[in-house]
Amino acid sequence: MRPAVSVLLLTTLTGFAYGLLAWTGVYAFLGLLPATPHFATASTLLGLVIASLGLGASALHLGRADRAWRAFSQWRSSWLSREAVGAVLTYPVAILFLLALHWDHEGIAARLLGVAVAIMALGTVFCTAMIYASLKPIRQWHNSHTAPDYLIYAVFSGALLFALLHAVVGGSASIFVIVPVTAAIALLAKRAYWRHVDAQTPLASLASAIGLPKDVEVRPLDAPHFTENYVLREMGFTIARRHSARLRRLALGLAFAAPLFLTVLAGLAVAPLPATAAAVACAALGLLTERWLFFAEATHVSALYYGRAA
Amino acid sequence: MTRLAAAVPGAKRLGLVIDLDTCVGCHACAVSCKEWNSGGEAGPLLDYDPHGPKPDGVWFNRVHSYEAAGQGCSRTVNLPRSCMHCEDALCVTVCPTGASYKRAEDGIVLIDPEICIGCKLCSWACPYGAREFDEEAGVMRKCTLCVDRIYDKSLPEAEREPACVAACPSRARHFGDLADPESRVSKLVAARGGNDLLPELGYRPTNKYLPARRATIPTASEAAEQSGDGGGVGVALLRLLDRVLSR
Repeated sequence: MRPAVSVLLLTTLTGFAYGLLAWTGVYAFLGLLPATPHFATASTLLGLVIASLGLGASALHLGRADRAWRAFSQWRSSWLSREAVGAVLTYPVAILFLLALHWDHEGIAARLLGVAVAIMALGTVFCTAMIYASLKPIRQWHNSHTAPDYLIYAVFSGALLFALLHAVVGGSASIFVIVPVTAAIALLAKRAYWRHVDAQTPLASLASAIGLPKDVEVRPLDAPHFTENYVLREMGFTIARRHSARLRRLALGLAFAAPLFLTVLAGLAVAPLPATAAAVACAALGLLTERWLFFAEATHVSALYYGRAA
Repeated sequence: MTRLAAAVPGAKRLGLVIDLDTCVGCHACAVSCKEWNSGGEAGPLLDYDPHGPKPDGVWFNRVHSYEAAGQGCSRTVNLPRSCMHCEDALCVTVCPTGASYKRAEDGIVLIDPEICIGCKLCSWACPYGAREFDEEAGVMRKCTLCVDRIYDKSLPEAEREPACVAACPSRARHFGDLADPESRVSKLVAARGGNDLLPELGYRPTNKYLPARRATIPTASEAAEQSGDGGGVGVALLRLLDRVLSR
C-alpha cells in the first residue's frame, strides 16, 4: 500500500496526542498530576493541538476536503466515520475536564472527567486502528495485531510526551518508570507483528483471482494497460526486502530502543530534560518510519491481477 | 446509508455473467464502457495525458490476459475485470459519508459523486481493484452497471443492457437478474458451473464467470484410440499403414 504522507502524519501525531490526553486523564483520576499551576492545562492543550495538526494533515488526503463534514454521518458502519466522531467529541470532553480541574484540582468531577478524556482519546485511536484492521484484502492489517498495536504505540508515545512535560517542571518520578516499560512493550509488540506477517501465507492465488482452481499455475500474459494506473499506484506499492530489513532495524532503534535508554537516563536524573527531549525526537522519527513500513509492507489482493505479490 | 440494506424479498440482483470460454480478449467491452461513461450521465470519465507518452485515466473495466497451465499445453485466459456488485460489499460499509451505497431494489453498487469526499478507503476495501480515483474531481469512480442505460425507457428494449454487454463481439458477456433462478443468466451459471472470483475473500460477488471448457477436439486417430479397438478393420489397416509410413 502506498504510504501517503498525510496518513502517516495523522496516525503518528494522533498517537502522541491521544496518548498524552489519556495519561493526563489517568493521572488526574489518580490524583497524581503535579501541583505546578497550569501543568494539566498545558498537557491537555498540547494534546489537543497535536491532535488537530494530525487531523488537519489527514484532510490533505481527501479529494474533496470541503465536504469532510459528511464523514460524521456513517458511524453505524464505518470505522473512519467513528474515528471522525471520536476525534471531534474528544474536544468538548477535554475542555470540560480542564474547567473541572480549575474548579477543583482534585475534585471528583475532575477525576471522572479525566477518565472520560482517557476513554475518548484511546477510543479514537482504537477507531483509527480498526479502519486498517477491518480491511479484508490486506493481510498485514486485517489481523489481531493491528488494533492492540496502535493502542500500545499511542500509550507509549503519549507517555513519552507526558514525561517531557514532567521533565520541564521537574515532577513525578513514576512516569520515568512507565515510559521505559511501555517502550519495551511496544518494541516487543512490533517484533511480534513482524514475525506474524512474515509467517503469513497470501490470502489468495492468481488462479483463484481469475476463477480457476487454487493450485493451477497462472502467469500474466498481457496487462490491460502499459502505464501504472490508480490501482497499481495505490495498492501495488512494493518495497525491496533489503530496504525493508534496514528500515525495520532503524524503526525499532529510533522508535523504542533509543527512547527506552534515554528515559532510563532521565529517570536516573542524568540531564532529564535534554534526554527526554531527545527521546521524543527519536520516537517521532522512529514511529514515522514504523508507520511508513506499516503501509509500504502491506500488500493488497487486487495486486494479484497484475502479477504482483499479495 | 452505508449499512447494507436487509434483503428485500423478491428484489432483483442484477449483474454480469462473463464467459471465459468465448472471451477473446479484444477489449471492446472496456472501450465501449469508457465511451459510454465519458458521455453518459455518469461521465465524463477522465483521462490524464491521453495523447502523451504516459496515458492514464479512469476505467471501469480492465481486460487482462493470462497463461494458465493445462494438461499437455497451456491456455490463454482473458479476464475482463470490473465491479462485482458484491452482496457483502465492504466498499459500501467502510464509506464514512454514505456516498457509496448498494441499491436494495437491484443490488447495484453506486457512488454519489456529489457526496464522496475522496478518502479512497472504499478502493482499499475492494479485493477486485474495481474502484479508480478521479484525481481531477477528487472523487472515487466505479462501474454503474450502466444504470443510466438499463432503465432508460427512451431506448429500444433490446438496447437496455450495459454498454460492455452490447459491445461484446463474441457474446461472452451476459446481463440479467441473478436472484431469479429462471433467468437466462442464472440458467447459464447453473449449466456451465459459473463461479466467483476470489471466493475465499467472502464478498459474495454477484457477477459470475463461466470457466473455459476443455479446448481439445480429438483427432480421428485419438478418437479411435480412446474408443479402444473401435473403428473396425479399415481403421486398423490405416493405423498400420500410418505406422509403416512414419518409420
